[in-house]
Amino acid sequence: MDMSKYKAMFLTEAREHLQKMAALLVEVERDPQNRGGIDALFREAHSIKGMAASMGYQQTADLAHHLEDSLDLFRQQGEITPEAIDRLLAGADLIESLLADIDAGREERNVASFCSGEFSVKEISELPPTEAGSVPEELTLQISLQLHDKVASPAARLLVIAKQLTKFGNVLSCEPSEEQILRGGNVRQLVVIIQTRLSETEIKSSFADYSEVSRLDIETPQPKSEVTSIAGGATVRVGTDLLDRFISLTGELITNRYMLQSAAGDKDWDSLKDGLGRLGRLVKDLHHQVLQVRMMPIDTVTGRLPRLVRDLARRSAKDVRLELEGTGIELDRAILEELADPLIHMVRNAIDHGIDKQGTITVRAWRQRDQVMLQVADNGRGMDPALLRRSAVEKGLIGPGQAEVMRDYDALQLVCLPGFSTASQLTATSGRGVGMDVVKAAVEKLGGVLNIDAAPGRGTRFTLKLPLSVAIIKVLLLNVANKQVALPITRVLQTIEVERNQIQASGKQRVFSFNEELLPLVSLRKILALAMPKAVERVAVVITEVLGRKIGLVVDDFAGQSEVFVQALPSPIDRLRGLSGGTILGDGRIVFILDIQGLLERKR
Amino acid sequence: MAQRVLIVDDALFMRNLLRDIFTSAGWEVVGEAADGIEALQKYKDAHPDLVTMDIVMPERSGIEALQDILAFDPQAVVIMCSALGQESMVLEAIQHGARDFIAKPFQQEQVFEVVARVCG
Repeated sequence: MDMSKYKAMFLTEAREHLQKMAALLVEVERDPQNRGGIDALFREAHSIKGMAASMGYQQTADLAHHLEDSLDLFRQQGEITPEAIDRLLAGADLIESLLADIDAGREERNVASFCSGEFSVKEISELPPTEAGSVPEELTLQISLQLHDKVASPAARLLVIAKQLTKFGNVLSCEPSEEQILRGGNVRQLVVIIQTRLSETEIKSSFADYSEVSRLDIETPQPKSEVTSIAGGATVRVGTDLLDRFISLTGELITNRYMLQSAAGDKDWDSLKDGLGRLGRLVKDLHHQVLQVRMMPIDTVTGRLPRLVRDLARRSAKDVRLELEGTGIELDRAILEELADPLIHMVRNAIDHGIDKQGTITVRAWRQRDQVMLQVADNGRGMDPALLRRSAVEKGLIGPGQAEVMRDYDALQLVCLPGFSTASQLTATSGRGVGMDVVKAAVEKLGGVLNIDAAPGRGTRFTLKLPLSVAIIKVLLLNVANKQVALPITRVLQTIEVERNQIQASGKQRVFSFNEELLPLVSLRKILALAMPKAVERVAVVITEVLGRKIGLVVDDFAGQSEVFVQALPSPIDRLRGLSGGTILGDGRIVFILDIQGLLERKR
Repeated sequence: MAQRVLIVDDALFMRNLLRDIFTSAGWEVVGEAADGIEALQKYKDAHPDLVTMDIVMPERSGIEALQDILAFDPQAVVIMCSALGQESMVLEAIQHGARDFIAKPFQQEQVFEVVARVCG
């Protein structure tokens, strides 16, 4: 039987089981006598074993079996040891690597050495050491090597070397891949990214007696996102009830088509009108159902957090609890994919800077009308607006005058400025501020908003306000020089009309007073390099936020709100900065959706 | 104690050449085989530290003999002897567990560089 068509499904499910295992292990670590947890762990390992065995993935099945056996033992003892948790987590990591092998179509790596290890033996632990110096930390290295021109059978030589490298650690990627090498031919270069405990020197010296190798470079690869893909990968599981609804909708659409055809043939305008009305409802319904397929629960990205928090807390010798709330709330998969890294950034920041020795991080999600709120909160030391103001002035990010009039709330948003980080809060892994600009940009790219509130000694809260879907959003249509563009409604704080005499000049910049705050005015015509209009008495202004700063965007006038289906821009238009997508209006006009931040950056 | 090698090649000339290369470096040649079937038999008798395996041989080929030996002893250290134009077979052999390969015409230094790596 051809099992290959089940591969994607296997990978999706196995990754879900793995993620549950990791979360359960962290739970059981806190409460080693949690029988229910140990039972659940046993079942997860058992499921993976069964699935892998039926797919013929022997190494994965063997490893899962090995984990299952040991869990069975702990189940009988009613307790699990801390060393065993480490080893089980290492085993889960190894299964993840195996799944990556399978996903890439590589041969599964051999797990015999792991399985022959004993439980409760610490040295095999793949985890970062709790105390510095006990085990060298695992590093990710990129090894590039080149063979001499005269080497006989270069492909075979590379294959031997590639196999040799797998002994150094966990090979994450290999270019050319083993399959490509096996095709033979004139391959003389190999680039391998490997996770290893060996140092550069150790690796270099082990290649000293390879006279076939003419050049060997070892470097740290470009940082890649920690979450390469969210669980689920390329496949989606759809409930059969949803499929049934698709079928019945399709049936109705077919009936509708015949109805319209006959009405058109008979020139029966009333029936035609009826038919069109029905078609409108059917399409809307279908649309709604299709969007449903794109929705995934938030725990597809929060599922990794328990393990991350555990590892980071251990590394920094802090006692950190993680609480997750509302992770069943669903969001568009495209949004979730973009959120994975920002979420890790915020949680990492909370551990590094928010929490001193002991504390709790709460990640909660909730629905607010047609938006989803996602919050990362810690009960740590919080942030001091005065300190942030001072630091921003010292770094030349804002002027002293600006700092003086800046409200506390706005001062907190300063951490999102590129290049902002307060030295007193900096650690090796991250600095608060480092990365927050990236988080903010990611959220805004999705059409969302990031809010920060904090008080010294009372913790920090990052709140993301996100649209449910990136596919269908509400936009504000704007007229500018006889053209229409759109801005996601989530990006609009307010629309106002400003009298000419309310506009003041501050240096080269035009500003106006809004809620006792002076906001800079930016002309959309100017950004888009369109002809400037004649002076008018009142200008239409959209108040929006760019990188934590409010600005007034001057447009010709507002053309109303509309719900639109956003389409990704095709190449080469997608390379233009400042456009986050496009949509086709009911009358057939194409309207671009603006990314104001991108536009302003382009201007610079 | 000297390290022990089994030389498998259907050509007497090649066996003699390899024998000279190994003995001059202080190795003990514990056996020679001229085909794949004999190779497994001699391996079982002698348990050598290293096997040099020609690829194209009568009866069972070098790749088949490699698999036979590894089935008998998964720890066996086998290196393939390849000639020009046999790359695809070498690739196959490595996939099946050959540790390394040496390319004809043999040069003593190259042979021992490979031997040192796989036996080191």
